[in-house]
Amino acid sequence: MNYSETLINHFRHPRNAGMMRDHDGVGEATFDGCGDLARFYLKVIDGRVADVRFQTYGCGPTIAASSAGSELAAGRPVAELLTLSEAEITAALDGLPAERVHAARVVAGAIRTAARDYLARRERSSEAKAGRHV
Amino acid sequence: MNRRVYLDHNASTPVHPEVVAAMLPYFGECFGNPSSIHAFGREAREGLEIGREQIACFLRVGKEEVIFTSGGTESDNLAIKGVAGARGAGHIITSQIEHHAVLRTCQFLESQGFAVTYLPVGGDGVVDPDDVRWAIRPDTILITIMHANSEVGTIQPVEAVGAIARERGIPFHVDAVQTFGKIPIDLDAFGIDLLSFSSHKIYGPKGVAGLYIRKRTKMVAIQQGGEHERRRRAGTENVSGIVGFGKAVEIRSREMDAEAVRLTALRNRFWAGVSARVPEVRLNGHPTRRLPGTLNMCFRHVESESIVLGLDLKGVGVSAGSACTSGNVEPSYVLVAMGVPLDWAMGAVRATLGRDNSDADIDYVLEVLPPLVERLRSLSPAAVS
Repeated sequence: MNYSETLINHFRHPRNAGMMRDHDGVGEATFDGCGDLARFYLKVIDGRVADVRFQTYGCGPTIAASSAGSELAAGRPVAELLTLSEAEITAALDGLPAERVHAARVVAGAIRTAARDYLARRERSSEAKAGRHV
Repeated sequence: MNRRVYLDHNASTPVHPEVVAAMLPYFGECFGNPSSIHAFGREAREGLEIGREQIACFLRVGKEEVIFTSGGTESDNLAIKGVAGARGAGHIITSQIEHHAVLRTCQFLESQGFAVTYLPVGGDGVVDPDDVRWAIRPDTILITIMHANSEVGTIQPVEAVGAIARERGIPFHVDAVQTFGKIPIDLDAFGIDLLSFSSHKIYGPKGVAGLYIRKRTKMVAIQQGGEHERRRRAGTENVSGIVGFGKAVEIRSREMDAEAVRLTALRNRFWAGVSARVPEVRLNGHPTRRLPGTLNMCFRHVESESIVLGLDLKGVGVSAGSACTSGNVEPSYVLVAMGVPLDWAMGAVRATLGRDNSDADIDYVLEVLPPLVERLRSLSPAAVS
């Protein structure tokens, strides 16, 4: 299997790996075909991703895609992450072999889920606040 | 530059320099077609027959009982389809952990109206000879069981199965691709009628293999053409390959016994080192009835391929126990048949040692493997939760 140097670099030195306890949003995605699982945690300040962490079980490309995905998410407005595409992850890895495109799919899915989780929590908390005012 | 350590000898081996030297004249000066009657052809024929002689001598059989094919897969196909074709119909007994060359050939024959029993194996990957006995039907035409499994290295009780086959008068085929030239094979004592064996697993060239066919075994050819190989296998012989194969076998006959002892010790040291340094790791296959150089381990909560890639980046070549094709990771069917739980089976890694591996190689792998597994586990949500 031929992997890009960028992919290998992310696999060897994953950025933002680990768990985050005091997160503002968390999301998981799995790929049933192979059991790969990625979980992303977001810390959000003023609507932007202030910190991001991931935990991933999977093959080398899925680990590398998680690392690249975390860099793409860092600093971005959360709303933008709702439409984060597989193609963007693949591009950040300088490409994926056709047999490994699931790596980008599972990571993009996990980041979008984490973004939705953050927005849903914010909505619930603003509804709760509004409720108290009545 | 990293050290380079090759630990995938069950996949293929480097061609021995003496084998290369023996082959070279057969690309140039002795290039003839061995079926030609002129001097050019006779020279090629002589090389071909020396190769056959070396192999027949090693197996202690008649030269006319050894034929050459293009690979282990073809040998398995020819043995199974050849016997099935001679009978026309009937029942075949095999195991669930055979190589695909046997399994898919049997599946194909099922589609052609033959019946096949796929015997289960125990947790150590061993076929129970009693299961063979009970599977036999009045119309059983062939028993085909591998000598040792390529993934986990478990050696099957072929002698006991052979005794049953002989008692019932059923032809017995053994896929010995992983054992030929590595551990002793006694065709008469094991009651073997057909034996598949390959060159590139024992430091010979790729593209050549053999099939032993005991005299009076009824079978048909599976490809049509000329009269080559006593009409068993049409097609001009791979002369240089056969010359190299013969030479490789001759070398194995002098090195095999000592090498088996050395590799068993090296493999045991490797496993002792891994199990002492890495938590949550298990050994797959029979602990002692195993190919000398084969070590198959499962690392829980890590995916095989990430270990293979991580070791590859350190210059170490091993193979993954689970295969990812088009985004589908299939745990090894061998491990599944052995009842290895899925969360372990997904982290299976096979290391197979060979003649070039040294203690220093194993020391190096023991240095790089534990931190790699630890790092991958630190990334894994499964290991945390």
